[in-house]
Amino acid sequence: MLSIENLRVVYHDVISVLNGISVTVNDGEILIIIGANGAGKTTLLRSVAGMIDFYDGDIIDGDIKMNDESIKGLDATDIMKQFGLTYVIEDRPVFWYLTIEENLGAASFSRWDKKVKTDMEDVYGLFPVLGKLKHRKAGYASGGEQQMLAIGMALMTKPRMLLLDEPSLGLAPIITEELFSIISQLNQTGITIILVEQNAHAALDIGTRGYVMETGRIVLDGNARELLENEDVREFYLGSGKKERKSYRDAKRYKRRKRWL
Amino acid sequence: MVDFIQALGSGILVGLVYALLGLSIVIIYRASEAFNFAIGEFLVIGSFLFYIFFFDLGLPLLIALPLGLVAAGLVGALVERLTIKPLLGRSPLSMTIITLGLGFFLRACVQLIFGSHSYSFFLELPDITQEYGDLLFLSDPIWAGMLSLCTFGLIIFLLFRTRWGLAIRATSENQAKAMAFGIDARFILLIVWAISAACIAIAGIMISNFGALSSMSAIVGLRAIPVVLIGGMDSIGGALIGGIIVGVCESLAGAYIEPLGLIGFKDVAPYLLLLIVLLIRPYGLFGEVRIERV
Repeated sequence: MLSIENLRVVYHDVISVLNGISVTVNDGEILIIIGANGAGKTTLLRSVAGMIDFYDGDIIDGDIKMNDESIKGLDATDIMKQFGLTYVIEDRPVFWYLTIEENLGAASFSRWDKKVKTDMEDVYGLFPVLGKLKHRKAGYASGGEQQMLAIGMALMTKPRMLLLDEPSLGLAPIITEELFSIISQLNQTGITIILVEQNAHAALDIGTRGYVMETGRIVLDGNARELLENEDVREFYLGSGKKERKSYRDAKRYKRRKRWL
Repeated sequence: MVDFIQALGSGILVGLVYALLGLSIVIIYRASEAFNFAIGEFLVIGSFLFYIFFFDLGLPLLIALPLGLVAAGLVGALVERLTIKPLLGRSPLSMTIITLGLGFFLRACVQLIFGSHSYSFFLELPDITQEYGDLLFLSDPIWAGMLSLCTFGLIIFLLFRTRWGLAIRATSENQAKAMAFGIDARFILLIVWAISAACIAIAGIMISNFGALSSMSAIVGLRAIPVVLIGGMDSIGGALIGGIIVGVCESLAGAYIEPLGLIGFKDVAPYLLLLIVLLIRPYGLFGEVRIERV
């Protein structure tokens, strides 16, 4: 179980991005985090994965615990090795100038052993298209293939918990659907998944629980089903709420500025 | 004709050493995106470290050479840890500027410790001078060319056939992605600098063996600039071809243009060639084709 307690993060010592966030992730679930651009979703994942200092950010308050053991301040590689937590950064983090096979090899660097080859075959089994293209440079693969490769690479690290940052970014709806069904398949094999998404509807459909983030705070949380029904979420993230509820909007902490839906 | 082949042959042999210098610039450029302007000082320090083990302590060559290279690698790693690592995530330009300053600093250190006079430097390698009719290739350049080529091959093997090489190539492409997939990018950078420093030391030892070693030998290191710019800053094969082109260009200029009265033209010729190449191909001859997606 991962628990994030009252986390505060600043970039470059001045820009406050997370203003006290608490999130718990139970083993075996798919946790969805939705929120607008700049809400701090990616920063949250970076902090958990131990990569925040690489981006010149600092955790100034709060703690991140994995099964009651603090992982705050550990190196990304240590967190991955000790806690089986793998972070798939946004925008298809594949190495463009390496072939697809080399990409999978590079991802298994931290656990090089005899089983790498069979694990690669497993990934090709899950994503047959990668098997066909394995000697091609990843930069020439399509967006969907790159995202599948990114998830395949994450699987090569043998994760117990996967942090996915907007896997649907820039993908066609039909590919997004395929990707999300693969994500729930992975979840059924016992991998806990934290999914950060802009595509709220598709994400909440496969998720168990969800959080809504606004400017560095959690403003809403609950079961995925409840969130799908929630008026605010429907209005701002699913684009299907009733527009005339003016009085209700005044009561809300956040302003209407979500033009991207 | 004999003159031409003679000049071509010696050019290629020296060019192979330049290629090694180019390679050490290229691997750092790919990993840190910084141009290492301190290459000349790395060269001098690497040679002096070898000098200590071989001439001062009198160790046999087969022990002194690896020891010297390891020491040079450690210096490279130390430099990375102290100057480049704190700048991780900042603009590559600041790292490049740091290496400029580092060059001055290291040169002053060398002059403080070893003085600015020349040290005689002579490796007693087996004589393999080749003589065919009027052609004569001296033993030292042949050794230099062969050793450089072997080192070059070794580095390519390391980069393209081992898992550490895979990690280096992955990190070179993108440090954040590499870290996310469990590659310790910082340690990989350290290794890259160490390898680069060791390569420069080999080239330095070979070059010192042509004549003498002094803190002024650093100037030879600057020959790496036309090499990598002609070959392409991020191309390993380009460093080899670029090195040979620069070596040949230099030696042809020495054989044909200098006798016309233009003394010293040999040193300028590679830069003129560089200008022409850059006009035609701004990325260098073998600069990597960027994968562009829209």
